[in-house]
Amino acid sequence: MIVSTLSRPNRKFKDTDYFSVKTETYFLMPFRFHRLNSQREVVVNEVGDHLVYPTGTVARIIGREIDKQLDSELYADLIAGMFISESPIPALIDVLATRYRTKKSFLDDFTNLHIFVITLRCEHTCHYCQVSRVTTDKDAFDMSKKHIDRGIDLMMESPNPFVTMEFQGGEALLAFDNIKYAVERTKRLAVSYNKKVTYVICTNLAVITMEILEYCKENGILLSTSLDGPGFIHNQNRRRPGNNSYELTVAGIEMANNVIEKDSISALMTATNLSLAHPIEIVEEYRARGFDSIFLRPISPYGFALSNERKNKYAMDDFLSFYKTALQHIIAYNLKGEFFREQYATIILKKILTPFPVGYVDLNSPAGAITNVILFNYDGNVYATDESRMLAESGDYTFRLGHLDSSSYEEIFYGERAMEIAEVMTNESLPGCSECAFQSYCGSDPVHNHATQGDIWGYRPTSTFCRKNMEIIRYLIELMDGSEEITKVFESWIR
Amino acid sequence: MTPLHNHINGNSIIIYLDRSIYSSNVILKCLYWYGDKFHTDFRSLDSTYYCVTLSVLAAETEQTDLEAYQLKFERDIIDYSLRDTVTKETANIRDLLIAKAFSNGEYDEEPAGEVSDPVGFDVHAINPYQN
Ligand code: SF4
Repeated sequence: MIVSTLSRPNRKFKDTDYFSVKTETYFLMPFRFHRLNSQREVVVNEVGDHLVYPTGTVARIIGREIDKQLDSELYADLIAGMFISESPIPALIDVLATRYRTKKSFLDDFTNLHIFVITLRCEHTCHYCQVSRVTTDKDAFDMSKKHIDRGIDLMMESPNPFVTMEFQGGEALLAFDNIKYAVERTKRLAVSYNKKVTYVICTNLAVITMEILEYCKENGILLSTSLDGPGFIHNQNRRRPGNNSYELTVAGIEMANNVIEKDSISALMTATNLSLAHPIEIVEEYRARGFDSIFLRPISPYGFALSNERKNKYAMDDFLSFYKTALQHIIAYNLKGEFFREQYATIILKKILTPFPVGYVDLNSPAGAITNVILFNYDGNVYATDESRMLAESGDYTFRLGHLDSSSYEEIFYGERAMEIAEVMTNESLPGCSECAFQSYCGSDPVHNHATQGDIWGYRPTSTFCRKNMEIIRYLIELMDGSEEITKVFESWIR
Repeated sequence: MTPLHNHINGNSIIIYLDRSIYSSNVILKCLYWYGDKFHTDFRSLDSTYYCVTLSVLAAETEQTDLEAYQLKFERDIIDYSLRDTVTKETANIRDLLIAKAFSNGEYDEEPAGEVSDPVGFDVHAINPYQN
């Protein structure tokens, strides 16, 4: 007997009609949208996939006006990206759920970055520095061995098999003996706790020596330094006796390049009012020093930095024009074939263009504070972030989670304070952010909200965090929408 | 009744919104973004209209700026209305999606479609516990 395969209800291959709905319309899936400019708008789904269309398209999508035949390409893109669905629950919802989980997988292992403020002493008096002290009083301003030990023990308790131990200051290298002590103890414990530890020293390089560099090389320690631009900017921002911070930093970078791997040293710039007029010169300085990237950062608004208003308080809009000019300059080099990237854009582009999470603590939801970073201060206090300790230096202890002498891991990481902060750590549930198209590319920063607006929830319309991120994200998508060449450049940055 | 027209009065923008079209939820979400530049006032005018008044915080704001803000508000309120539609229509699927994402299998369903059934026997009919 011949059985017609067409009559078998469970045959694998169906006629094409089987896959299309007989109803006239489609179902909306969760997505958000934003006007990129007067002509274009972007739609972003729950896992961060985006599509850019002429203005008015979103209203048509929501109004069920997209016709499967007449708008076949648009319709197919929307179905493929799960912006719309032909059934109330799309067949591939589990795939979407897995992608959502992947995007949030930075939470899986919990805290990675453990910052040890090894000393508050410094030989610089940078006008925007919030915390440092010019002193030789080691007892008062260096982290004690007891606190170093306890910090390391807590780090070993982290569920994360990969941890980063970052030494900050003051000038961390003024307490190099303590760094050595900490690294040696951590090395021993990491074996028994099965942890892979990345070591980073943040330093202005003024007191770097061959002996220190050799030790860094031996132990794979990374150096993170500060370079604000050419001498006339750097020395103005970073004051020290002799006014030679730039010369010392550049000499330090060269010395380091001769001893440790090129990738083992990176530099950060902080833009001050003076910097804002010199975007090109700053990028050129980084190229001249042999770097193939730059991280363009506005000055942080914390602690002592607020007390120098005239110098530090420039409008975020001024920073944004500075940022765009520098970015255009960088893109132009890339279009001519030279690889050079801007790191903040790279972080955001990774979020826009890849399915993976990016463990950048300032741009996560839930926020990176506690879940991703913790700080052990020189005096034993434990803070949620680096910025939190800067607030503490001006007398605001809102983000103090405990003390190394007395608090357990649970009390610090899951205590009452941590829980209060956790309430405002997801931008999915913050006013303004909850319906923002850029939610999955952006983050939440309760510490910034508190420091700049006096409220951990924050108020988006006047938030500099929001202003900066909304405009940079919009601008990056607009650039990609307008040029395939720039899209290719951006893709090369995230590889 | 003569229809009400949105207009500028001195340093204020006056907007009328039909209650049968716009919910207070949508209006509040839209108004939220105007709080940095305006005093915002939102009240019921009568059973048909809401009235929104945006009064500038900076006295030096030009008339042309006010016109631009009026236009922006008129566009934004439509955008927020559209957002509200998506949020409401997709609330359940979004909850399901996130529940699935963070569950350990509790929300998994039978594999959708029949992709795991290449030879065409009915997997649902097979009961491994059958004698
Ligand atoms: S902070 Fe601003 S840009 Fe970021 S998600 Fe919230 S509303 Fe959007």
